[in-house]
Amino acid sequence: MDLMQLRKNAADHFKANGFPTTKDELWRFTDVSPVANTDFSSEWNASDLAFQPLSSYCLVFENGKLSPEKSKLNAFPEGVKVGSIMDHVDPRLGTLADAQSAFVAANTAGFSDGTFIEIAEGVELETPIHLVFLADVAGAAFHPRNFISIGIGAKVTVVEEYIGAADITYWTNAVTEVFVADRGTVDHYKVQRESATAFHFQTVEAQLGENAVFSNHAITIGGGLGRNDIRGKLIGEGGEAICNGLYLLNGKQQFDTHLFMDHAVANCNSHELYKGILDEKARAVFCGRILVQQDAQQTDAVQSNKNLLLSRGAKVHTLPQLEIYADDVKCTHGATIGELDETALYYLQTRGIDPVRGKAMLTYAFANEVLDEIKSASVKTYLENLVHEWLEKVSE
Amino acid sequence: MALLEIKNLHASVAGNEILKGINLTINPGEVHAIMGPNGSGKSTLSNVLAGNEVYEKTQGEILFDGKNLDDLVAHERARAGLFLAFQYPVEIPGISNMYFLKAAVNAGREYRGEEQLDAMDFIDLIEERKKVMNIRDDLLERAVNSGFSGGEKKRNEIFQMAMLEPKLGILDETDSGLDIDALRIVSDGVNALRDPERGFLVITHYQRLLDYIVPDVVHVMVHGQIVKSGGKELALELENEGYASWVGEEGI
Ligand SMILES: Nc1ncnc2c1ncn2[C@@H]1O[C@H](COP(=O)(O)OP(=O)(O)O)[C@@H](O)[C@H]1O
Ligand SMILES: [Mg+2]
Repeated sequence: MDLMQLRKNAADHFKANGFPTTKDELWRFTDVSPVANTDFSSEWNASDLAFQPLSSYCLVFENGKLSPEKSKLNAFPEGVKVGSIMDHVDPRLGTLADAQSAFVAANTAGFSDGTFIEIAEGVELETPIHLVFLADVAGAAFHPRNFISIGIGAKVTVVEEYIGAADITYWTNAVTEVFVADRGTVDHYKVQRESATAFHFQTVEAQLGENAVFSNHAITIGGGLGRNDIRGKLIGEGGEAICNGLYLLNGKQQFDTHLFMDHAVANCNSHELYKGILDEKARAVFCGRILVQQDAQQTDAVQSNKNLLLSRGAKVHTLPQLEIYADDVKCTHGATIGELDETALYYLQTRGIDPVRGKAMLTYAFANEVLDEIKSASVKTYLENLVHEWLEKVSE
Repeated sequence: MALLEIKNLHASVAGNEILKGINLTINPGEVHAIMGPNGSGKSTLSNVLAGNEVYEKTQGEILFDGKNLDDLVAHERARAGLFLAFQYPVEIPGISNMYFLKAAVNAGREYRGEEQLDAMDFIDLIEERKKVMNIRDDLLERAVNSGFSGGEKKRNEIFQMAMLEPKLGILDETDSGLDIDALRIVSDGVNALRDPERGFLVITHYQRLLDYIVPDVVHVMVHGQIVKSGGKELALELENEGYASWVGEEGI
């Protein structure tokens, strides 16, 4: 299917179905009418926002458009093709991301830029590719579309970071499709630091071949109303998917995570660790669906969602969903919602650590389990700092 | 001036009066032991001293190093030099022992108007102090008390005390659950800290510990009161005769 036809189909789907409502089972706890009821513009502007490049391979999008000036596009080694998705339309584009989703349809119909990454067979790129999406036009809608495909035995680390100007409202609606061929490894990070009054939605969908590894770490700090759909399809034996996340929410932030792990074949692993820290009146939804199909024997799936509430006004809905059609599998899940451990706080106090510092230490310790899993040292240090900054802000 | 002066202390927890008029004075350089049956209020006393807000002081006065403890909350008491080695040390997943110790040491230094220790100075201090307590490096890197054995937790408490150099160390049944080797290590650690300026309150169930940490005064606590005080020979007497004669009709 060519791009024109793909876009037309998506537009038709969106016109016919519109945005989901809370009557829709998958959107029960997240009301997107504030997005549906806003008219967004699509004017383009350069951006003044600051960012910190995490790598020498950095692509910068200013209000939806790739900036050749701010990006470093020519430095890539042989076998690594990176550029604007408008210049490289892969035939598989749009075949992976959930076509039933209104947000995916809106993106497919309307995307005007995004990243294309293709790594040739056997090429291992150690340096991360950092994608920075800057948003500082109030009232605008952005539909970044990213496409990542790596060859057999290839390896890449991609960091997607979304940064917005404070206190403006706009809508980011991103879609990232990831094809991991046999024995390939993709480490994918998503850092969401949008404006606290922005709407942010993204679908990340990955397909894993035999013995392929895909990891996704989603760190959410910003956004007023948002949702991540992280979806993995294990279609080759021996595949391994790791989906970890950390959401740090305060004020009236509402953030929803929907994981969907589809075990279609035998001998695959999936591990999901999601942690949330909520202050003030923040709300979080976590829905982790694991589907183990009939042929997916010896599946090993572990899911855990733990939440720390720093205030009585904060609220979490956590919904694990296991659907198992194979009989020889190991699937576990657990969810907790709790407060800071007063006994631990007292213990710290008896060592001279004041309660404000003690709370920050215990809260950081809670988040640290997710950060500890991050392999890339530069990404880890950067995220540790972001988490520290957030904690300082909420403990003020 | 006395290091610790407790006058007619009454304290309650969950609405029940546990301490019923404790009087106790510890001078700098002295080691006092409190012995007593289970449930007599020994841990309640140590928690009231440390500033655990679950325990409510209802009457009396506590002066520590000339300061009224009513004016200080738990972390201020710690910074002023009061240290409690817990009967049940708390596990804190996600915070490394090293990081925790550095925060604690520097909190005390800040209070005393001393410079913060940087990473290098801190490591030097650790290296010097860890030997006495036989603390392995992996225990320093692991999360505070998390998954530590009973003996490791107790050694870690005394190690923290050695790092923080308090004016008063309160040891709440530090010996319980220790084998003879661990008991010796813990006692050596405490004895190394004995100093004419420093005092200790050693709470124990067994006389055995007091063979290693020799006290100046032994108190017997029963039903929230100190029923007898004497020299170190009192501990031996208790070992031989038990608490029966003090416990009274209602039993232990
Ligand atoms: N946190 C608490 N909540 C309720 N009761 C407590 C608490 N701590 C101690 N107590 C009660 O106080 C009494 C004395 O306990 P404790 O001080 O632990 O004695 P000891 O240390 O001498 O064994 C006991 O009856 C115990 O149940
Ligand atoms: Mg006790």
